[in-house]
Formats: sequence, C-alpha cells, structure tokens
Amino acid sequence: MVSSQKNPPAPVAVEERLFSLVLALLATDAGLTKNEILSTVQGYRQRYDPAGDNTSLERQFERDKDDIRELGVPLETTEPPGEPGNNQSLRYRIPRAAYELPADISFSDAETTLLNLAAMAWREGSLSRESQRALLKLRSIGGDTSEPVLGYAPRIRTRDAAFDPLSDALSRRLIVSFPYLKPGDAAARLRTVSPLALVQHQGRWHLKGIDNGVGEPRTFLLSRITGPVKLSRQGFELAPGTYASSALEELDEIWESNLAELEVRPGTDAAVRLSRRRGAEPGDGDRVRLHFTDVNLLADELAGFGPEVRVLGPAHLVDAVVTRLRAAVRMHSPAPEGEAG
Amino acid sequence: MARTGDDAQQFSYAQDKLTFLLTLVPYLIDHGRVSVATAAAHFQVSEKQIRDAVSLIAVSGVPGETTQYQHGDLFDISWDDFDERDEIVITHMVALDDSPRFSAREAAALIAGLQYLQSLPENVDSGVYSSLMDKLARGASESPSQVAIASTDATGALTELRAALERGVQLEFDYLSSRGSQEHRRVDPLRIDSDNEDWYLRAWDHRREAVRTFRLDRMTSLEVTDEPVTGAHDDVVLGDRLFQGAADDLVVTIELDPSALSLLGEFVSNLDTRALQPAQSDAPGAGAGRVRARIRVAHIHGLKRVVTAMPSAVTVIDPPEARAAVVEWASAALAQYE
Repeated sequence: MVSSQKNPPAPVAVEERLFSLVLALLATDAGLTKNEILSTVQGYRQRYDPAGDNTSLERQFERDKDDIRELGVPLETTEPPGEPGNNQSLRYRIPRAAYELPADISFSDAETTLLNLAAMAWREGSLSRESQRALLKLRSIGGDTSEPVLGYAPRIRTRDAAFDPLSDALSRRLIVSFPYLKPGDAAARLRTVSPLALVQHQGRWHLKGIDNGVGEPRTFLLSRITGPVKLSRQGFELAPGTYASSALEELDEIWESNLAELEVRPGTDAAVRLSRRRGAEPGDGDRVRLHFTDVNLLADELAGFGPEVRVLGPAHLVDAVVTRLRAAVRMHSPAPEGEAG
Repeated sequence: MARTGDDAQQFSYAQDKLTFLLTLVPYLIDHGRVSVATAAAHFQVSEKQIRDAVSLIAVSGVPGETTQYQHGDLFDISWDDFDERDEIVITHMVALDDSPRFSAREAAALIAGLQYLQSLPENVDSGVYSSLMDKLARGASESPSQVAIASTDATGALTELRAALERGVQLEFDYLSSRGSQEHRRVDPLRIDSDNEDWYLRAWDHRREAVRTFRLDRMTSLEVTDEPVTGAHDDVVLGDRLFQGAADDLVVTIELDPSALSLLGEFVSNLDTRALQPAQSDAPGAGAGRVRARIRVAHIHGLKRVVTAMPSAVTVIDPPEARAAVVEWASAALAQYE
C-alpha cells in the first residue's frame, strides 16, 4: 500500500475501524453509501483519497463486511428506488432490531452454568472461538459465567483436520471439494459436495451433503477425508431444514439395523467394555450382540481386542477383522529390515 | 476474585476484540458505575484489557452530521472516576446500548455443546435443555448452523461418581488395566473428564499416592463409601492431557500415515508431532507419505491394541519386543478363526 500523501495517516487499529463501522451503520436509518463510509468513518477516512483511486480501501471494506457479518451482525444492503443496479448508490445499514438480542431473552444462573459447560466442551478447533464469543455475549447481558462447574471437564473432540474448514463452509454455504477414501477402494477420489450438516454419531464426525458428482445426498466420515478440504467461491441455495437431526436419525436407523454377534472372553477388557456399550445385548454364555453403523470402524475396534473377542457374524465383519489381524502379523514379522539404511 | 495475568483470556483476532467492545458497552451502560476490577473479573480479562477498551470506547462514536466526529458524536466517560478511582461511568452514549445477537455459528456451537451435555446425569430435566436451545436459536441473527451431536447413554457409573464428588467421599472399585490385570482401587475422586464418547475419572489413587486416570467403562463393583476424601488435593493441577508420560516409559518407534494421527486417540497426546520424520522408503510396509515418530508408552499393551486395530495405518518399527507383542496378539486372535 504505497501512499503518495505528504502526511502518512496515523494507523488505526483494526478493531477500532470495525467498531466505528458498526457504530456508524447502527446510527443511520437511511443507510450510508460505500463512498460515504470510506470518506467519513474512522479508520477508512484517514486513507481515503477524494481525488484518486480507492480500490484497496474498497477491498478492505469488503473484507470488513464479511468479518462483522461472521460475528452475527446483520449488515443490510438496500438499493434506492429508481436506481437499480447502480453499485455506487447501494446503501448499507445495520437494522437495530435485527442486531440487538431480543429483550425477553435472559438466562438464569442454572442456565448460564450449563451454557458455560457447553462452551467449555469446545476446547479445540474453530468452534472454541465461537463459543468464547458466545460467552462474551452472555456476560454482556449480565450472565456470570466465571463460576467453574466443579467436577466436570467435558470435551468434544474435533481431531479431524477436515472439521474446521467444513464447519466454515457449512455456515458460509460454500461448495467444497476433498479427497475421500471409501473403504475397499484402492485410492481416494475427489468429491465435490454442498455441505448440509456436520454431526457427531458414536463419537465420529460425519458430513451430510449433496455429492455434486451424483446429485444426491451422501454421508461422509471425516476421518476418511485424506487430504485438504478446499472451499470454492461458489455458494448454493439451502432451504431451511433440520438437516442435522435427520442425518442423526438416518445414522441411528443404520445403527439399529446392523447387528454383530460376538463371543467375548470373560474378565477381559473386551468383556467389560463391549458388554456395557449402548444397545449391547447379552446372549447365551459369553455372547454379546452389538449394533453398529460402519462395518470397517467396528472391525478396527474388534481387531484391537485381539484374542479377547471372536466375531461370529455377520460374515463380512468376520472377514474384515481377519484381514486386519493378518495385516498386523504380516507388517510386524519378521524383524524389520533396512533399519541401518 | 479479580482475574489477572495468566487467568485472563487474550484476544488474538480483531473479530474477538470487536466482540469484546460490542459486549462491554451494554454491560457498562447497564451497571452505571462499575470498577475496572469488577468488570475484568466478570469478563475474565485482565484489568489492562478493560482499561484499554474503555479508553478506546471513550474516543469512539459516529461521524455525525458534520462527519467530523464532534464531541457530541462520541461516547464519553467520567474521566475523574476512571483516572482517580479506577471506576467506569459512561456519561454519554451513541448508537449502541444493547447486547448483540449470537451468530449462526456461535448459537450452533452452544446448542451442540448442550446436546453433548444431555448425557450428563445432572438433575436437569430435558425441558431445561430444549428451552435453552430454543432461546439460543431465537437469540441468533440467522438460524443456527446445522451442527449436532447424538446424545449418548453415558454409563451408569457417572451418576455415582458425581454423587461421590459432590459429597467429597472416597470411591472403591475394581479396575481392569490395559495390561489385563484386575486390581482393587480406593481413590479420592477429583474430576470427571470426557473425550467424545469416552468418560474418565481423574482421581487420587491411595495406594499409588498419585493422580491416576481411569476409564469409566473399565470400572466394576463401584462403591461410593462414606469415608471423606483424604484431602482437598488443592495442589494437584489437572491438565487437559489425560495421560502423562513417565521416566520409566517404553520408547517405541512407530511409522504411520499422517492422516491416521486423529485415529490414535489417547496416544496422540504422547506424540511429539514436531519430531515426525519422513519414513525411509525401504522400510517394511512403507507407503508414500508415511512418517516415523517416537512415542512414550507406559507399556506395550495399550499400543499393541491400537496397532492391531489399524495395521495399515500404524506400524511398530522398534524395539523388536514391541513388534513381537503385536504379532503374538494378532496371531492369538487369528487362531480362533482357523
């Protein structure tokens, strides 16, 4: 940003510029044009050149608009009647009623405690920042969120690298693409998806979205996304709906319909843990029946229990477990070669 | 109870700093007069952050009719109170007096967090959760993003642990270690931790005279005693890491697919990701992009389970005894099918 002005403008902190922008747009009923904003609002006006080119300042304004909208600030654009399509005459404002938290919304101490705990559960990933901001807003209306909830440290994990970019794309309604390795396929294939919902089921994050390659909804396991998630600039229309809860219902239906029959060795880790799992049904003797959503995920887990568990069925689960056990033996015997090299 | 220094949250992003300003102003207006210390404690920030924010608010405002930010277009505070008594009194306000709505993602994060907490055995009826979620959705500027977490039936032991924690009494239970040995434990419960669907108890183990982490689904014959805990254990700092390495740990070299890192679960906390080395191409089973890492484990038994579960993603390279343990474990399992 080369400035040819004689007196270089004193730098204005980013938050001061954003704060001034919000104040100016809240104060106006009729709205301000872009030119009025750039020439008068603190943080822009210092860099505004009335005679020259303000392209970089305009780009700054575009980014700032995105930034404050992301915070939940409703920034409205209106087109004055009689001048359709004229970009320069667009007016910007923040309608007070849509900005302010409705006056009837307040939170009791018990509710505030729960919200504090809910925010605490997001200790990693981008949603931790979102929850911290939500807590600031709670404190703004007086909620005392400083009281620690004794005894609990809940944590929602978002270990999958794909979680942050996908949750970003979800809220911005942008089409994404990512390499996805379907079990049984030799290599990952690039998928282009319009994200509908992110849900956690059985401790695993799933993306529900329209797979644009087939034009149909699909569910993707985040742990099978093998490379970077790329956000396109292309948005898509999303009718309001309960995509997340229906995605969970679908997963529950699949879970309900799949049943594994196991034999567990008494007194072992497998016996103690598997028989206490949600929906586990004790069978004859040492048998346990378990519901599952994904045969490969369950096979991973059961293979890990080694000789503590024997899978009786279904056959494709037995095969999947045996494949893993054989691979484990093959990869670890005999002694490693090439250590010296 | 002023929080200063380490306790204070710092805002690294301009968006978070802006949110702080937009939420501080309505709080200050509501309170009429409030000390810097009180405001800092309420917002869990340092007193300096409050002073800096107030100094900025006091010179901020709207361009106004003259577009020159005249005196009446700006916020004003009582400078005497601020400078001499460290108290904040807003004497003139512009444009902003109410708290902002939640963003779609903020509301979604809290709603999903509440869904997760619904498995906790608190004396909270489900009506409280649904009314809270409804309020968050109404308080958002757009409908909340579609993020949801399936509620799980947390294990029944949670209720008893919670009761023991509340009453401050000792717990007894049988615990199956990942070595496969069953031991009776007597502990002072400290905190219940969770990691997605897995629940853990952090407790002071009487026999070991140290803090230990127990998986809830490995506990049996749980008994809440009437004996009070042996101490407040105020000196115990519970970090976020569930498992800490120890000096006598076994150091194991593993080779893994970086995309499998997230599958390693509790072992990941022991893994120094800075120490990852590209795998040698002639190493057994090496695939493109695999990396080598040295991790510390208390014993091979936990690791052999992880490796047997995902042999195509993780391989033990060294020491030979660790490789042999995996082979023995997997072979014993295979024998059941032959």
